[in-house]
Amino acid sequence: MSLGKFLVRRILQGIFVIWGAITIMFGLRAVSPGDPANLMLAEGATQELVEQVRREEGLDQPIYVQYFDYLQGIVTGDFGYSWQSNREVEAMVIERIPATIELAVAATIVAIVIAIPLGVISATRRNQPSDYGATLFSLLGISTPNFWLGLMLILVLGVWTGVFPTGRRPVGLGEAAMTFAQTGSPGDLFTWLRYITLPALTLGTYFTALITRLTRSGMIDELGKPYVTASRAKGLPNVLVRYKHVLRNTMIPIITVLGLQMGTLMGGAVITETVFNWPGLGLRLIDALDARDWPLMQGIILFIAVAFVVINIVVDGLYSYLNPQVRE
Amino acid sequence: MTETEMDTTTRNTNAEEILRVSGLSTRFFTQEGQVNAVSDLDLRIERGEVFGIVGESGSGKSVTARSLMDLIEPPGEITEGKIEYNDPDLADAVRDDYPQAVDGEYVDLLEVPADVRESLRGTSFSMIFQDPESSFNPTLTVGEQLAEAVEVQRRASARPRSTRAKTQDYTLASFALSTVLPSREYVSEESRERAIELLEMVGIPDPVERADEYPHEYSGGMLQRAMIAQALAGEPDVLVADEPTTALDVTIQAQILDLLAEIQEETGMTIVLITHNLGVIARMCDRVGVMYAGEIVERGTLEDVFDDHVHPYTEGLLGSIPDLEGARGRLQPIPGNVPSLLDSEMEDRCYFADRCPNAMEDCLDHPPEYDADGSADHEVRCVLAERDYEESRALPEGYFGETERPAADKHADPDRTEEDVQPERAEQPVDDSGGDRL
Repeated sequence: MSLGKFLVRRILQGIFVIWGAITIMFGLRAVSPGDPANLMLAEGATQELVEQVRREEGLDQPIYVQYFDYLQGIVTGDFGYSWQSNREVEAMVIERIPATIELAVAATIVAIVIAIPLGVISATRRNQPSDYGATLFSLLGISTPNFWLGLMLILVLGVWTGVFPTGRRPVGLGEAAMTFAQTGSPGDLFTWLRYITLPALTLGTYFTALITRLTRSGMIDELGKPYVTASRAKGLPNVLVRYKHVLRNTMIPIITVLGLQMGTLMGGAVITETVFNWPGLGLRLIDALDARDWPLMQGIILFIAVAFVVINIVVDGLYSYLNPQVRE
Repeated sequence: MTETEMDTTTRNTNAEEILRVSGLSTRFFTQEGQVNAVSDLDLRIERGEVFGIVGESGSGKSVTARSLMDLIEPPGEITEGKIEYNDPDLADAVRDDYPQAVDGEYVDLLEVPADVRESLRGTSFSMIFQDPESSFNPTLTVGEQLAEAVEVQRRASARPRSTRAKTQDYTLASFALSTVLPSREYVSEESRERAIELLEMVGIPDPVERADEYPHEYSGGMLQRAMIAQALAGEPDVLVADEPTTALDVTIQAQILDLLAEIQEETGMTIVLITHNLGVIARMCDRVGVMYAGEIVERGTLEDVFDDHVHPYTEGLLGSIPDLEGARGRLQPIPGNVPSLLDSEMEDRCYFADRCPNAMEDCLDHPPEYDADGSADHEVRCVLAERDYEESRALPEGYFGETERPAADKHADPDRTEEDVQPERAEQPVDDSGGDRL
């Protein structure tokens, strides 16, 4: 199958998935209790005012008309206005994307940097103390709830020792980089780094644990394959057998997992962002949920669906690039 | 034992022995207990000959091959014995550091550190495996994998006397550097070019294009040719071929054997050929050892084993080959199962006695190797070499109880998994001489 065909097929599938997400969200909104007009207006608003809002928002129309209006809006790039703040949903989503991506990438880097060496050590020193240590670590990592870990990190590294700051970050990566480019002062970059460390560790711990396990079991699997014995038999240095052959092959499925995790993280790590007051999509989603701000919720979910689909296509492409057996 | 050893040493004064294996025992320490995959094995392999090892699945052939290559991995371990390799240069290089390992021009490979043994792989010893498809890394091109083998040789010949393992020269840091700097890659352009020559040499058409293809784009026979090319890259003294044709179609089998024979003739390389197929042995080998339950039960020249065999197991193996010319009637399978190699279940007797049609009271003692009629090399681990079968001394039928015993020897074959064992057991009685598929 050519790359073009592959892309077309996957994009069509993706559009279908996104449409499904939109429709489900719309359905949920339609069946959820409460009159949106009441939500939008202050308490004690007159009946006329309520009726007026209902007309303006098209809420007096039959449900299918509302649905097609909404779909039409999305296709033309109109995602509606937040009920709560009356701002454009589009802008409210876009302004939160950088923080979410920064956190997702940082957490993934934490996972890769710690997990892969740990997994390799674990697999190559099977049933030795270092393996047990790595196994214990990953069990703890997988079973520790994020909110607890986040709170503990804040308490120990933030409040007690003061190594890392707590509270809402004062500067994003974009601004910090801009300052650095303009003034040459890396101060803001350091501030940014100090603020992102704890959330990234919190969010990354689970993935670190997961990837450690996957690396270990994948590598043990690969090490048992006949081509490893054959490579040793031809006299290839152990380092090359282990890293050029075995680790490389182990990484192929792990890259898929990492990609899918990135997709999940694009929706914002709701719990971690809440604990650290991290200005990402997850926090905004929770706020929207609290206020029953449906247009904003729908906008965020739509972004999550699109991001997920795009990342999946990229991961599949990457997988077939790395694995020649599925390439053609 | 000592008698036999003296025998062999005095006998082979003219032909140079490249490999002397004595008392080799390889055991696997599994949860079910100790598995004696290879016990007290002696081999004398002469320079330039093709030595065949034949036996059923689970007889210890593959473990023997891997022991020679130092490819036994935990829970397996070579527990005893000597593997002496004739290499004057190596002997000189290690004489000072490991005097106990050196005996004249011979070096006992089990007495030198693992990295010295490792330094011999590819350049002194090389191996061809049974299943070419799984013996290549699926994600690297065939050319690249061959070039790696060439590079091993190139780097080794750059410093001929060094016995340091290549591992020590090539560290994780070198690898990390090579991922960033293409010029620091392990495999050089020259090696890649040589890999293409090797592919051409083993008869692969369009070698330049083929070198850039992945293993799954090759057919099984092509891939086995590529593996032979890979094994030849290091210009080894000894080539261990472990069931090189088993995974291939019958027509391809013949081509591969022809190729091996041709290469052997050209290079004068020594080949240790491991197979369950007596047809392959007859076609390729100068001398043969028949393996059963981890030991060699009969050895000698082709004529000794095919025409003058003494051991009923050899007889049984030959009886289960279809004879297309003679009207010998039905095939004669060997009744019963490959014995368990679990130490706790191995009694001190002839291991074949429970399946042997001629088992006598004498067989309750483990037989030594006796000289037998035929060539001077003909030896057999069976009392029938010394005395004739006597009905009066025969063991009563059912003496060993139910002969269908669980095949607990699955660890004897490192490539075999539990799933493989089940159907094989169901398939008994034995047809695993493989038939004469040629």
